[in-house]
Amino acid sequence: MSIRRTTAALAVMAIILAACGPSGGGDGSGAAGDCHVGMAWATFQEERYGLRDLPGLEAALEAGGATLTDNDAANSAETQASNVEALLDAGIDVLILNSAEPESSLQSVEAAVDAGIPIIAYDRELESADALFMTHDNVGVGRMIAEAVTEAQPTGNYAIIKGQEGQTNPLFLRQGFEEVLAPLIEAGDITIPEGAEVYTDEWLPDNAQDNMETILTANDNDIQAVLAQNDGMAGGVIAALAAQGLDGEVAVGGQDGDKAAINRVALGTQVVSVLKDATELGMAAGEAALQLCENPDISAVEGAVESTTVGGIEGYAVLLDPLPITRDNLQAALDLDWLTEEELCADVPSGTVDECP
Amino acid sequence: MTTQAEPIEAPLASEPRGEPVRTSLLSTLGVDVRLVGMVVALAVLWIAFNFLSDGRFLTPRNLWNLSVQSSAVAVMTTGMVLIIVSRNIDLSIGSILGFTAMIVGLLQAEWIPDILGLPLNAPGTWIVVVVLGICVGALIGGLHGFVIAFIGVPSFVVTLGGLLIWRGAAFALASGRTIAPLDPTYQLLGGGPQGALGATLSWVVAGIAIVAFAIGLVLNRRRRRRYGFPVRPVWADVTIGIIGSLLVAVAVWIANAYPWPPNLAEEYAIENGIPIPPGGLIIPTGIAYPVLIAIGIAVLMTFIAKRRRFGRYVYSIGGNPEAAVLAGINTRRTIMKTFILMGALSSIAAVIITARLNASTLALGTGAELQVIAAAVIGGTSLAGGIGTIAGGVLGAVIMQSLSTGMTLIGVDNAQQDMVAGVVLIVAVGFDSWLRRRRV
Repeated sequence: MSIRRTTAALAVMAIILAACGPSGGGDGSGAAGDCHVGMAWATFQEERYGLRDLPGLEAALEAGGATLTDNDAANSAETQASNVEALLDAGIDVLILNSAEPESSLQSVEAAVDAGIPIIAYDRELESADALFMTHDNVGVGRMIAEAVTEAQPTGNYAIIKGQEGQTNPLFLRQGFEEVLAPLIEAGDITIPEGAEVYTDEWLPDNAQDNMETILTANDNDIQAVLAQNDGMAGGVIAALAAQGLDGEVAVGGQDGDKAAINRVALGTQVVSVLKDATELGMAAGEAALQLCENPDISAVEGAVESTTVGGIEGYAVLLDPLPITRDNLQAALDLDWLTEEELCADVPSGTVDECP
Repeated sequence: MTTQAEPIEAPLASEPRGEPVRTSLLSTLGVDVRLVGMVVALAVLWIAFNFLSDGRFLTPRNLWNLSVQSSAVAVMTTGMVLIIVSRNIDLSIGSILGFTAMIVGLLQAEWIPDILGLPLNAPGTWIVVVVLGICVGALIGGLHGFVIAFIGVPSFVVTLGGLLIWRGAAFALASGRTIAPLDPTYQLLGGGPQGALGATLSWVVAGIAIVAFAIGLVLNRRRRRRYGFPVRPVWADVTIGIIGSLLVAVAVWIANAYPWPPNLAEEYAIENGIPIPPGGLIIPTGIAYPVLIAIGIAVLMTFIAKRRRFGRYVYSIGGNPEAAVLAGINTRRTIMKTFILMGALSSIAAVIITARLNASTLALGTGAELQVIAAAVIGGTSLAGGIGTIAGGVLGAVIMQSLSTGMTLIGVDNAQQDMVAGVVLIVAVGFDSWLRRRRV
């Protein structure tokens, strides 16, 4: 039943965009000697890129006196390929590539390498030793979800609600879960009942809800904790639990820092939402780009560690720590201006958490 | 005008073309052979799943969940049947669902509270939200229908465009934010133990359904006689009446056999000062509101399709568009109306899904168009047009949901579930065409 909902639209848009050349607010090429950074975005369709990543990147580059030229590929690999060519033609010193399609991006990487330009693979891994991979540690996100949930509920039956089958992110997250769960399963404290670990078509919350209902039926409600791979699905899980009067009793974890999810953390129906601060990632990429302008050696970038890609290529990566939001540190989400107090405290009885008077 | 439309359903069996001359039991009873076949297939499926899941499938709880899970797709399928019968298609319903889901979410959680200064659970909010949501859906459907019928752009293209436009518009409405929590009264429309009729009202509904069914049989008999059509023997009508009543009674009995989950029952008891008997308080859940909505819509749509001029026009257009035009049917208006209806039904599905999830999220309804088209087609709707029943479509939706729930229950992987659903779709349609060929 899966269908890439926007593929067709994006193909059409890609043609238009390709015809019109790179979009986005380019500042033009800077004066010689300046650090000129090119950023190829995969898509602005998701909220975070335009509202969080880009401002972070701009802030870091502005502080370092560098100029930025960026463009958006509307999720099309072809558009991105021509966008990168346009950036290279504009004489950039560093290329930041938020790949629309990692496999076909390798050509762009090659073109940049041939031009002697260092590359940052932004948030999406590229199978190349020449690109510095910068992302939030997705395995770490999985680990943090599992740590917070096992702390709240150290024993019992666990259900695991994974994202779309066949994508890499569910695997990273699952790996993080495993690192925490394995010893507890070994010790017999935690059990994953048969059939209680499922993938979710399209990461859809209502599919997660259907699946959770079925898991509860199959186990006569004998489920004590649920690890969901994002907050939308955690919402579906909690709706299924609420129908059995189990919301707040079963420990549920998720990620993304959705406003609704952080509100649920305050309400006590969700234990943790791991937040990946995209502005922080944008800033880190900007700072790394500034360093690469001085010295194009990616292994010399601050925080770069040796890492192996999914395909087994040895390279370097900068992994940022995600931030788990639990009832104990709701203030951290407010401090990040991630959401307003009103949004955090919707429906929360006063006095139950410090942040909601 | 009624006489003009009546002959289409004149034959005893509901097969619209060709008078069956055989006098098997089924044709004497005058029931739809294909529909009976589907019910049998569904029964086999349920029994198989029950066997494979160690008796967990055919429990009141699972069947109750199944009924709620099927309702949104069932609602949309009733409209899709008419669209496909008229030789059109609507690919935009998932996106219309997503868009109206954002509208109803924002209306109750932000717009109404902010503009009118009302709290989230102000009385009557839910009605305003539902009515406005349906209006928005109908408007979108009307827009599509207008372009299709009056400008002459093929429905495939217009609704493919709509699929992209309305998903994008849903994003634009709230930049992809999740809108939650929703109005507590509104949430009841999505089911859950509180969002159900309870034992007494469920039996009342069952009673009304049975009486209405009986009256329908009698009236149908009279009307047929009036127009000089052959009527079934009395014993056949009585048998159908009894079987129908029994099915209704069993369904309601199952819905009532699912008690409130113990935690909720306990909370309820404490809130209302009811002493909890030893062994726990048993509150029968009864028919869930979304299921009631879906059944109500299915009945209404069947009435529209079979008894109203508009419905008969749709079938005439699907059977032979040129002949329909020559017969003086305003085909354009009729087509536009089917899309208005489809839009409204998509927004009703949006209400059910958001109420059930207690949230409006951007991705809601993704891929729904395929599920709904598959349900309609499994239910015997012919993509060549002119043939299809609302009841078949609803059964198709239940079969699809049964497959998905059943396979999750026995631990079949997501990817394999999709493969099985695909095979079932092709086999169902293949069987249907074979059946149709054999009868001609």
